[in-house]
Amino acid sequence: MTEVTEPASPTDTRLRDLRPTDAPVQILGRVVTVERREYANAADGRRRTFLSGLLSDGTATVRFTWWEPPAEGVDRGTVLRAVNAQVREFRGRPEVSFGYRTRVAPASELELPPIDGDDIPLRKIHELGVSDEGFRLEGRVVRISPRTVTVGTEQRAIYEGLLADRSGSIAFTSWSDFALQAGQTVRIAGGYVRMFRNRPQLNLDERSVVARIEGGDLPQPAEVLSTPSRPIAEIEEAGGGESIALEGVILGLLPPSGLVYRCPTCRRAVAGGICPTHGAVQGVADLRGRFVVDDGSGSATVNAAREGTERLWGLSLEGALARLRDTPDPTRLEEQLFEATFGTHVRVRGRASRDDFGLTVYPESIERVTIEVPTRARELAARLGS
Amino acid sequence: MALRETAWRETAAEILAALQEERGSGERAATYLLSPYGSRMSRVLIAGNLSPPESIGRNPAQPFWRSRLTDPTGTVAVTAGGFQPRAMAQLRAITTSQPALVAGKVHLYRGNDGTGYVSIRAEALRPLDEGQLRVALLDELSQSLDRLELVERLRKEPMTPDAGLRAEGIGAVGLRAAREAIRRYPSIDRSAFRAILKLLLPAIEGRAPVVSAAPGIPATVRVTRVEVPAPRRREAPSASERANESAFLDVMDELADGSMDGYADYRELRQRLAERGLSEEAAETILARLQDDGVVEEPIMGRLRRASALTDG
Repeated sequence: MTEVTEPASPTDTRLRDLRPTDAPVQILGRVVTVERREYANAADGRRRTFLSGLLSDGTATVRFTWWEPPAEGVDRGTVLRAVNAQVREFRGRPEVSFGYRTRVAPASELELPPIDGDDIPLRKIHELGVSDEGFRLEGRVVRISPRTVTVGTEQRAIYEGLLADRSGSIAFTSWSDFALQAGQTVRIAGGYVRMFRNRPQLNLDERSVVARIEGGDLPQPAEVLSTPSRPIAEIEEAGGGESIALEGVILGLLPPSGLVYRCPTCRRAVAGGICPTHGAVQGVADLRGRFVVDDGSGSATVNAAREGTERLWGLSLEGALARLRDTPDPTRLEEQLFEATFGTHVRVRGRASRDDFGLTVYPESIERVTIEVPTRARELAARLGS
Repeated sequence: MALRETAWRETAAEILAALQEERGSGERAATYLLSPYGSRMSRVLIAGNLSPPESIGRNPAQPFWRSRLTDPTGTVAVTAGGFQPRAMAQLRAITTSQPALVAGKVHLYRGNDGTGYVSIRAEALRPLDEGQLRVALLDELSQSLDRLELVERLRKEPMTPDAGLRAEGIGAVGLRAAREAIRRYPSIDRSAFRAILKLLLPAIEGRAPVVSAAPGIPATVRVTRVEVPAPRRREAPSASERANESAFLDVMDELADGSMDGYADYRELRQRLAERGLSEEAAETILARLQDDGVVEEPIMGRLRRASALTDG
């Protein structure tokens, strides 16, 4: 970085617009991640270093490779301008490389394109896909709650919630505090989408811009959280959803169900008294039920926690532990849970994701349903004709 | 498909009418039973009166039990053996005839003379009270009627594009099953099916107990003659088809000779044939033809051998 800062020039190519080309390009971006790597030169066998990482200008993120970088390297967060960079394609995505012809110099943050400009496309939630960025979004905060996570050695407060528009809803995680509250309508820019537990998730950080907006045709939180039941096959085809409801019959129970033991610190299931993270621990008894719910169109695995399991079973954790004292065989308990729930009509509401094993639901509520037999029988009689 | 099979809500009449099979694709493929009502079933859910089971196992080390499940449309056999310990225990707990819900896999056994025997191998079952039984029968009627109406509609408008039907909320699985049902049962008279389904109504409405409308079926299984699949007359095989057939039989005999139980494994056979340049589809066609001609039989799923009574091809 020996050169002086280039004056802002209109020839910066937005990262979103990068296409593989033989012509050198001029780009501007912030270093999101960077690492120093080595390779052995084929000609003289000497080891050389190069830098590799991700650059983002708010419209897209691209991987960069910097051959013969400055000895002092470059810090995360630095904004760089590269003139005469090469664009190649790797696995269908553009990548840039800085060679001996490229001039790389620090630039000012102010030169980055505005992430909430009118030329940034306004997208609908259901259009958002994996690793999307460089979009604006209008939605309603359906719910939000703070949480503390450990990143490396650091404790960070994050906000998790659900954002919805008329096209759908998406879970979000905010790494900085935008003072969001449930019910607010917002316009968001500078967010990016990552897969989290098999579902797309919107991520917001200190570079994102959140503005309160008025009006707009956005659903009320209650509407989003009380969507009507849909066929399981339809939910599965859509890849799940953040707030779905389904109705079906319990036809199976997958292990581990019934009485389980959890690590007192992280609540993960312990096997043989060993927690995968915390080693030997005294497991805490808990109830869970992994119910297979089938509605004739498809089936879903519903991972019920203690409360839902207790309600369907009609037996509390204490009751289960008492039974275990009488008959010290946990597999017997699992069998009793299955016998008590097999054939039960239930309505399940919560978050659903799809993977190789099918649809999995993490229910917020699971309850028995009563079927209106006379009404529905009359409808069917009419359809059958006389 | 590694995914769990959906349980089709079935009436006894529909299960008994299903005499066409389709093998799924891929590893550990399931076999599906196709019904003229538009089901493509592996797992089923059915409710009715379940009789106390009788032991039909010959070997005491391998217990096998069979009950009869009777709903207003007919009677179907429900079995459970040592491989379904849960269902077997639940079945043996039935001591008097009572309403029950059964989930299980349908199974078609076809004798050498082409007679089909359909039964349900239970996975789980439970007794039902009257209210629960009515709900289960309602579920059956509702989904059976959905299927039948789709088949009736596709019979009338066979050219309706799938995309349009899917947009109406008709599931891909049901649509595929309906089209296949029409193809497999091209000449069956479906006009009686509505009347059969209607037999469920009195029980659902609580006006009548669940008894079979077709009394006097004493057998634990109903025996139905399989109709000849389709009227299309098969052309005499060409010389190359003959050659492929004999290659099929050669490899099959070789595998059967080399195996412990005297059966050729179908998957291995297909693999060997693929090495000889015979596609999976072609192998499937040849197998179907040889089975029809009574040259090859498959008494156990995926295990082939020469039919015991050889007919002259």
